[in-house]
Amino acid sequence: MFVDFFYLLKKAGIPVSPTSFLTLQKALSMGLINSLDDFYTSARTILVKSEKYFDLYDQVFAHQFEGAEFKGSEEIELSEIARALLDEWLKDPKELAEALGVKEEDLLKLSPEELLKYFLDRLKEQTEAHHGGNKWIGTGGTSPVGHSGYHPGGMRIGGVSRNKSAVKVAMDRRYRDYSQEGPMTASQMGEALKRLRNMVPFGPKDRVNIDKSIYETMRNAGEIEIVFDRSLKDRLKVILAIDNGGWSMDPYIELVQTLFNYARAQFKDLKTFFFHNTIYDYLWEDPPRHSKPFPVDELVRLDPETRFIVVGDASMAPYELMATDGSIHIEERSGRPSYERLKFIAKTFPHAVWINPKLAEEWPYTRSIHQIREILPMFELTLDGLEKAVGSMMRKN
Amino acid sequence: MHKETQKKEFTGASKYVLDDELARIVNISMALEMPLLLKGEPGTGKTMLAHAIAEASGMKLIVLNVKSSMKLIDALYQYDTLTRLNDSRFGDSKRDVSNIEEYIRMGKIGQSFVSDQRVVLLIDEIDKADTDFQDDMLDVLDQMEFDIIEIDKTIKTKYRPVIIITSNAKKDLSDPFLGRCNFHHIAFPEPDMMRKIVQVHFSDIDKELLDSAIRTFYRLREIRGIEKKPATRELINWLRALRADPDFRVKDLIKGEVPFLGVLFKKSPDYVVAQNAVARFRV
Repeated sequence: MFVDFFYLLKKAGIPVSPTSFLTLQKALSMGLINSLDDFYTSARTILVKSEKYFDLYDQVFAHQFEGAEFKGSEEIELSEIARALLDEWLKDPKELAEALGVKEEDLLKLSPEELLKYFLDRLKEQTEAHHGGNKWIGTGGTSPVGHSGYHPGGMRIGGVSRNKSAVKVAMDRRYRDYSQEGPMTASQMGEALKRLRNMVPFGPKDRVNIDKSIYETMRNAGEIEIVFDRSLKDRLKVILAIDNGGWSMDPYIELVQTLFNYARAQFKDLKTFFFHNTIYDYLWEDPPRHSKPFPVDELVRLDPETRFIVVGDASMAPYELMATDGSIHIEERSGRPSYERLKFIAKTFPHAVWINPKLAEEWPYTRSIHQIREILPMFELTLDGLEKAVGSMMRKN
Repeated sequence: MHKETQKKEFTGASKYVLDDELARIVNISMALEMPLLLKGEPGTGKTMLAHAIAEASGMKLIVLNVKSSMKLIDALYQYDTLTRLNDSRFGDSKRDVSNIEEYIRMGKIGQSFVSDQRVVLLIDEIDKADTDFQDDMLDVLDQMEFDIIEIDKTIKTKYRPVIIITSNAKKDLSDPFLGRCNFHHIAFPEPDMMRKIVQVHFSDIDKELLDSAIRTFYRLREIRGIEKKPATRELINWLRALRADPDFRVKDLIKGEVPFLGVLFKKSPDYVVAQNAVARFRV
């Protein structure tokens, strides 16, 4: 029964398992489910294991049992992203009006739904990238929306877009947390990273040291003397800094996701930061690199024993690394080149490595990789590379 | 609901307001004898649900408060080596030192397994513990039995306990673990539901106070930039504070004054943000 429904859920991207489907059958055969309402709640509680998927479940359910139209996941995603963008802009209606090329008064007449639709239409209308134009969304133009334009109020929608449509740019991965599942190689990564441990005695003295107790008891001529120790705990501090911006990192997203998922599950004391291309004055605690900056200068306050792992392709224009105002983000003006910043990090954390998802044989062709390798030891994001990186981080102990 | 299929039906308790959906989910989990995993904002009554089930069905409640350093074995049983060593040395207790079983103490999960009647086992805030804790628990939940290695004895459940697990979702739980549970996410209650919840706690509450307090409360929840939004627990405490204050008049709330803001916002940055927002209410 309901096999179609089960497969539709699976197709929609909800991780449903056959076991839970059997449980549902069991519930049905026990006569626990006697109406569509019952079925709705029971199937959800048994099949769907995270509130992330509740919305998707509702849509599939409505489609299956009430004949509602089921939109593909891409469309949902697009409208969500557009909504997120709009939410941001709605804080400043004037800017929004400029961005969409409508007058502010006209804008105020639109309801949020209409506005969203208008915006989506604009995005869909544009199927090619516009560079240097003065109309819609692109780069280097005079339009206020887009990147590298000279419009003073210009805002950046996506990355350095080349040959990509604005629709795709709007779907820039920065709105998607890396926390979603990646491919199933986390356990392999686990094997490689297992050696990255730092066992230290920690916590209350609650473990009986048998050898010492026997020794002390003997010394005491048989009078029992129990010796307690602290138990050994893994107290390794890890900072993971991930390059999550720009198209050059896109091919590696799944790989980095896996690493991130593994690290999050494994290391008890993990800080994650995000950056784009290279590190300037700030690291970001939120994936969109927008609301939670963390000054690089503050890093000195952290434990120098922390393992600092940078994940990025280290591929950029040389000036981004060397020039005093190298950042491609106009708002990031520091006066200090990223090169110096990386040196500072390497000095602060002796156990720092750069993990590059690009294969090592491609490295010699990129100048910035050379320069970064002078500062930080670099390893490729493969099982082999990870093992070497771990070796390098533990060796200096 | 369907009286013929279920002996015990959960419909709510004296201090707990239950919506239909959750009732259905609780009942189906009890019938399938599967653990129910509850997620949701703090203060939406995840823990209270277990108390309510125990109260409504007259079952004993056993609470396992998970701590970050906890290992599964602590929750199952403990072998009290020290007492045994002590007894063997001084021999002044009534226990039989050669019988290890006398030095085995049941942990919370163990207690729920050996109980002579069906109990409610609440595993509170499981996400606090290591992932190892969950992984180790898989087998125990699956088979409903565990071994005591020291005496080579398998403890089986006499009556499968009703297991309620709560999580604040700091970490994602592992997939195999989720596979063995039923899942529900408790959303924050709507104002109508909240009204009922408050009435359960304060049966004699004045309607005017209730209306304006709830309106203010939801308005406060909408303030942007708050890290920890006030939840049901805060609302109840706040009402308690309002009612205890002899100088308080309901009209103040309508005018836009919010006394005892500290009861609702417990983080100092939140408090400041809320204070500024409240100042704007009055205009």
